[in-house]
Amino acid sequence: MNWSQHLPALVVAFPLLGAFATPLFSLGGKFLRNLLFVAVSLVTLIIAFLLWRNVLLHGTILYVMGGESISLTLPSGFAFPVRIMFEIDALSAFMGLTVAIASFAGALFSLQYMNGFSGLHRFVSLYFLLTVGALGMSLTGDMFNFFVFIEIASVASFGLIAFWRDKPEAIEASFKYMLLSQISAMLILIAVGSIYGKYNFLNMAAIADAIQMTTVDKLILALLVSALAMKCGAFPMSMWMPDSYAESPSGVTCLLVTVSQVSLYGLIRVCFTLFGTVAQNSFIPWIFIVLGMMSMFFGVTMAVIQHEIKRLIGYHSISQVGYMLLAFGVGLSALHDPRALADYGFTALKGGLFHMVNYSMYKGLLFLAAGALYYATGTRDLDRMGGLARRMPYTTVLFLIAAAAISGIPPFNGFVSKLLIYESVFTVHPVLSAVALVTSVLTLASFVKIFQTAFLGPEKNQWKSVREAPAGMVLGMMVFGFVIVGFTLFPSWTISNLIEPAAKALVDQAGYIGAVLHP
Amino acid sequence: MLGKIYTGFGFWDVSAWIAFFFIASFYALWLRSMGRRDYKKGTDQDEIYWSGNPVPEDGADITVPASSAYWGYKKAFTPFYNALVAFHSGITTDYAGWFVFVSAVICALAVIF
Repeated sequence: MNWSQHLPALVVAFPLLGAFATPLFSLGGKFLRNLLFVAVSLVTLIIAFLLWRNVLLHGTILYVMGGESISLTLPSGFAFPVRIMFEIDALSAFMGLTVAIASFAGALFSLQYMNGFSGLHRFVSLYFLLTVGALGMSLTGDMFNFFVFIEIASVASFGLIAFWRDKPEAIEASFKYMLLSQISAMLILIAVGSIYGKYNFLNMAAIADAIQMTTVDKLILALLVSALAMKCGAFPMSMWMPDSYAESPSGVTCLLVTVSQVSLYGLIRVCFTLFGTVAQNSFIPWIFIVLGMMSMFFGVTMAVIQHEIKRLIGYHSISQVGYMLLAFGVGLSALHDPRALADYGFTALKGGLFHMVNYSMYKGLLFLAAGALYYATGTRDLDRMGGLARRMPYTTVLFLIAAAAISGIPPFNGFVSKLLIYESVFTVHPVLSAVALVTSVLTLASFVKIFQTAFLGPEKNQWKSVREAPAGMVLGMMVFGFVIVGFTLFPSWTISNLIEPAAKALVDQAGYIGAVLHP
Repeated sequence: MLGKIYTGFGFWDVSAWIAFFFIASFYALWLRSMGRRDYKKGTDQDEIYWSGNPVPEDGADITVPASSAYWGYKKAFTPFYNALVAFHSGITTDYAGWFVFVSAVICALAVIF
């Protein structure tokens, strides 16, 4: 048996096993639980990396749970296997790898960040379940499984956001997210049920092959777009985001950021792969563009006036999602025209995908750095901080790297993805680029404010006893810092090996369908 | 691996920026090395000049807090911010209401177009 053929199952099974093994390992003490936490996260990262490499080398991978082959049609008479089926192309593998990196970094950081709190076996279990949900959403090739994984991720998120349950704000943030997530889940379930009712399929490739553009189909698409746009944080459905990101423990926040990106992945998977050429001729590209523009502008303008560090970074999440929505909207609008796709559409998609992974990395690092500040000072209020660069040099340098990257300062990776977006969306209309540029300027202004007020300036007496964050927390931040610097120094390699294959997979609807229907 | 990235209108070459970074760093370090080293530590020469006034002992006394940053910008856009902050009411039913409203608009557009 070639074990590598089971990588798709292992990448989800490993953290799932970790989730249920944690209470048992916790009986053996703190050391054993922490060992499990890091070891499972690391192994998941290694498996996700191997899976990504296999997809690059051998093309799309299909995996059916409990079935010998994808063509085995049980129960008899069914056209496609009714099982958990993973279809992993370069885009899914790219997303899975992003989730695994964020999960590992967050786990390393949380070891010491959460040290001293009770109920950590529940924390670790929920953390693994959140990872399972995000990985499953990335890899599945079945719409109902997608719904199940989104629910696993959501339920784990509710628990993790409200983990510090003695804080009323944490309970409130979790409740708000829960309410909106459940509305979103209902919309997705209605859409999936309607697809099944109409086409008798749940398999994504089979749906993509059969989809038409009747009014019912348009409504299904509208429900999925609005539900997933809310989950990824598009304005004005984004108001849960700063609350949830601010109140959850920082190791969790960095994973929640990536989970929101998996929802965005779900959105583009639905629009490009499921509806593909049918969606491009509709109003959907303009929905993306309008939501993207609003998210960029209103997200960043709200961020500029915040003085609570995690809320400020949380509002920036909304504006960053706006860049991606704008890029994917432009890419989707060009999908039907090969010339437009070659001229600017494909560049917009590459920019959007590059920004997705960049955002996951630098936003993760920003939240971890904010967590390190909170750990050291006990406050998230920037008004009270000051002069901390002297006491926390590693956190300062890592924060500076992430702040430069999100602000789009050359030569950092954020600049490269933003450049691809600016220049490609300019072709559709210069106003799109202008709004994106203004957003970037205000982003820089916000992070200059944080850096100046938290790290620079004269030392305050009350912080004279502050020490650098513990080694484990710095190590967690360094994982993100290492990836950011790697993407910055080797943008050409990153685009060729990570981004371009994913972008090609995104526009290759026929390839996705053919992998299942004509293997 | 470093290579160029073509955007359709131009290109991005990180190696040029890395070269610029090293040249700028070299120049900055050279400039620093030209500074005088004969100052007396622990005397007035070592003190921060704060408009001729004694420097307060606690840094908190001479810090501009984050909420005062970009005061002019916020003042100029007060009407805009009054509306935007009011929009972010923090009330859960508002959140749900906007979500349902946007979903309804997208569904209506789906039927119309």
